[in-house]
This record gives sequence, structure tokens and C-alpha cells, in this order.
Amino acid sequence: MIEVKGLSKAYGELEALREVSFSIERGEIVGFLGPNGAGKSTTMKILTGYLPQSAGSVSVDGKDIGEDSLSVRARIGYLPESTPLYTEMLVYDYLAYVAQIRAITKSEIHDRILETTRLCGLEERLGQEIGTLSKGYRQRVGLAQALLHRPDILILDEPTSGLDPNQIVEIRNLIKSLGEERTIILSTHNLPEVMATCNRMLIVHNGALVADGTPAELQAREEENPRVRLVVRGATGDDIDKLRDLEGVEAVDAGVTVEDGATAFEVSAVRGRDARPALLELVSNQGWELVEIHRLVLDLEGIFRKLTKDV
Amino acid sequence: MSPRNISAIASRELAFFFNSPIAYIAITVFLAVSGVYLFVLYDFFGGNQATIRPLLEQIPLFFILYIPAITMRLVSEEKRAGTIELLSTWPVTDTEIVLGKFFGAVGFIKVTLLMSLVFPLIVSSLGTLDLGMVLGGYIGLLLLGGAYAAMGLLTSTWTKNQIVAFILAVLLCAFFYAIDGMVASFWEGGRDAFAFLSFRAHFANIARGVLDSRDIIFYLSVMVVALALSVQSLQARNWK
Repeated sequence: MIEVKGLSKAYGELEALREVSFSIERGEIVGFLGPNGAGKSTTMKILTGYLPQSAGSVSVDGKDIGEDSLSVRARIGYLPESTPLYTEMLVYDYLAYVAQIRAITKSEIHDRILETTRLCGLEERLGQEIGTLSKGYRQRVGLAQALLHRPDILILDEPTSGLDPNQIVEIRNLIKSLGEERTIILSTHNLPEVMATCNRMLIVHNGALVADGTPAELQAREEENPRVRLVVRGATGDDIDKLRDLEGVEAVDAGVTVEDGATAFEVSAVRGRDARPALLELVSNQGWELVEIHRLVLDLEGIFRKLTKDV
Repeated sequence: MSPRNISAIASRELAFFFNSPIAYIAITVFLAVSGVYLFVLYDFFGGNQATIRPLLEQIPLFFILYIPAITMRLVSEEKRAGTIELLSTWPVTDTEIVLGKFFGAVGFIKVTLLMSLVFPLIVSSLGTLDLGMVLGGYIGLLLLGGAYAAMGLLTSTWTKNQIVAFILAVLLCAFFYAIDGMVASFWEGGRDAFAFLSFRAHFANIARGVLDSRDIIFYLSVMVVALALSVQSLQARNWK
């Protein structure tokens, strides 16, 4: 649906984006991830037609964002970073203004505003001046603005930044429910956000795309030695060599006593091998009592840091 | 070009003025200054003539401060607040944005002029007023105001600072108002040579109640040029 090819953007000497290519299918919720200044906002500004690219192309269902700008823009709902709004306007008046510009017919405007504000949890604030709203409610006004014309593409730049934890959960749930029928691209430097809402992530770093896939795919790809945590009762720290001798085991971290006589080991397997069956067999042969065994996954934060580390 | 978008933007600008105290303060100050000028400074009663010509001649000067104060925020405020990013990713063209904002400001000038009809009304109660002159003068003021507003809108696209936009607009308006006089100060022949560019010279006939097509075309051309440059200036962000 959205096709991005060789996208580059330079601000004078500064190269903000370098040859970024990806394509997004209808119905995907894509998380754009990267440290501050990685090129997330620049990409979004280009996708929405606010900034021109220096090189490359963006098309939506085959229509070029530059040549068919108006018709592409009509299909996109956009929430820019920091949610710029006309603070002196009432919520209702603002949305009525947006509705006019979005070519919603006059007779439909009122119902559409009610429907959209109900979806965003704003219906109580329709008569309030935007400047007097809390940050969370302003964010909802920004979202309502982006949703009013029922766009099939939503582009949200840091939709939860600056919100408190409750508001973050509410906005995430809203985004998730919207994603059932729309294509959503959201940017964030917040990992739990991607985990909670997205089914695909694109990681950018220094203007280049460094990873593209589902969170699980990225985890699998980046994990070099699958690690297993084993806690047993009856073994001592001296039994560590028995673990080391097992087939498929590369290294074992010293056993430490954790709780009433139980000892914990952290086992690294040889790449591509699962050490768990061998470990379980050893536990039963030795007559140890199994307390816990589970695979330690490299969490997304670890992957993120690894990919966006400056070399 | 969609008239609907232009009128939506224009209405929002007009509503902004009248939903805040700014409009009422500005119009009150404008009327007070005009009244003081006509009845006190000009010595209307000493002149013993039922005419508003002295006021018609003076308003173009007042407008040099008044109209830039109206237009200064039109685009600069959108740039400062970042709302320009939303506005320009909505399905509206830059021309629609510029025209919408221009007509919003012109709407405000119309309201101001309508309010200032109080002066011809007062004068007509004192003696017989030349209505043709009033009508011609007001059409002229609207044209001149439109030309100022287009220049004010242009300077507003250049900066995100309203005060900078205001000062540049005042300078620009004052320059074109008095260009013939300025040139004449060092070259007497320049007065006639530059009269074709001067807002004041083009207003001389109008203040007498004569609407000449040359003057009308002049003010309309200034508007077209300034608005086209404003569109250009907004589109500058599209330079790669």
C-alpha cells in the first residue's frame, strides 16, 4: 500500500535520511523506532507531504506523494510531534473547521464530530478551549483531528510522549482498536510502546534503516546464544562442571544459592541449539529437584541498544 | 482551487479576531484616532464645510499601522505554533491558504470601514454631504486596505515572529505610500516619475471622490503581486 524507495533527505550539509526503503501493507501497525534525531520525524514529514525528499520516492497505492499530493493527503490522517493546535479555539469549533477542510458535507459534520470525539474520549470537552486542556486531552484532540475524515492511513509522530502512564495506556488502546481497519505508522523512542501496539517494527539509526520485522523476528535474529536459567535444589556450586560437560552447552555462569538450598545456573547454549532437554535429563539423573527452568530472551531494549549503538 | 477551503480559512481568521478583545480594542482605537483627527486636530468646525475629505486623506496613513497589526499574525503565528505543519498536510493548496487568510483580513477591514461610517453620518447631520464622494472614497479605502493587507500577509510568511512581521509590513507600506515624496526630497523630478508607484498619489483622486480605473488597477495589481509572492514564500519549504 505504501511504497518507500531509496528515500534520502539532506538539510544542507546534514544527511537526515539515507536511502531508506520499505513497504507497508494495508492493516499493518508499524512502529518507527530510533533514538532522538535518527530520522523518524523527517520520514513522517515526507510521508505526509510536509517536506519534500532530496531523493527517492514515496507512493500510496501507486500514487506519488509529490505528484498526486492532494489526493494522497486526503487519505492520510497526521498527528505531528508535539501536537500543534489552535489553542484559542473551542474543541468543537476546531473539529468543525477541520471537517470543512476535509470536505465532510455540512449536514454530516455534527454527527461526525460526536462520533470521533466519543471514540477519542473527548465528548465531555467539546465546549472547552483547547489551550485550557491537559496534555492528554490535547493529544486526543490531535488524534480526533487525524481521524475525523476516516483516513485509511494514520501517521502518528510520538503519540504518547509527555503523557502520564494512565494516559499512555488509554492512547495505546485507542491506537490498537483503530489499527483493526487502518494502516498505522507511529514513531516512538519508547520500546514498550512498540511491544504493546505494533505488529512490525522499523528501526532507524543515523538516517538509515537498521532493522525491519516483527518484534519476535528481531529477537530471534539478534540472539546469538540462547540462554537458559536453571534453578535446582540438591546441587551445589561444585556441580557446575557437570553442566559444562553437557552436549550443546557452551558456557555456564557460576551457580549461586538463591532460596532455601536452591542453586541457580545460567547456561549459554551453542548457537542454534536448545540446551533444555539435556539439562532436564541431567537433573533427573542426578536426582535434583527442579525448581525452575526457562529460556532467557534478549529483550527488545537490548536489541535496540545493540542496533543503535554508535560504533 | 476550492472556494470552500478558502472560505473556511477566512472565516476562522475572522472568528479569531472577534473572539478575542483584539478586534474591539483595535476598532475602538481606530475610531477614536479618526474622530480626534477630524473634529479636533483638523478643526472641522472652523472649516465650516460638511465634508469628510480630510479624514479620507488621512486614513491611508492610519492604515499603515492599523493593517499590519491585523495581518502580522496570519502566517507567522502558524509557523511559531507549528500549526502550519498540519495546515499544509491537509488537502488544501498554498494558494487556498494565502487567499483564505487574505480574505479574512479583508473581512476585518470591511468591518472597520463599516464602523467608521459613523463619521459621514455625523457630518451629514450637520450639513449636506457629497454622497458620491463618500461612496468612492470608501471603495478606494477598501482597495488600498486590501493592498496593505496583501503586503502584510507577505511579510507574515517570512518569519515566525509577529513583531518582525509587523515592522517589516509597516516599512513596506510606508515605503510605497511615500515613495514619490522620498525620491522628491533629493530629486524634484522624481515626484512625478515615481507617482505611478505611490499609494498616496493613487489615492489623491479617490479622496476627491473620483474613481479612476488606473487607480483601481494599480491597487488590484499590488494585491495580485503580493499574494503571488506570499504563495511563493509558503512554497519555499518545497525546495529540495
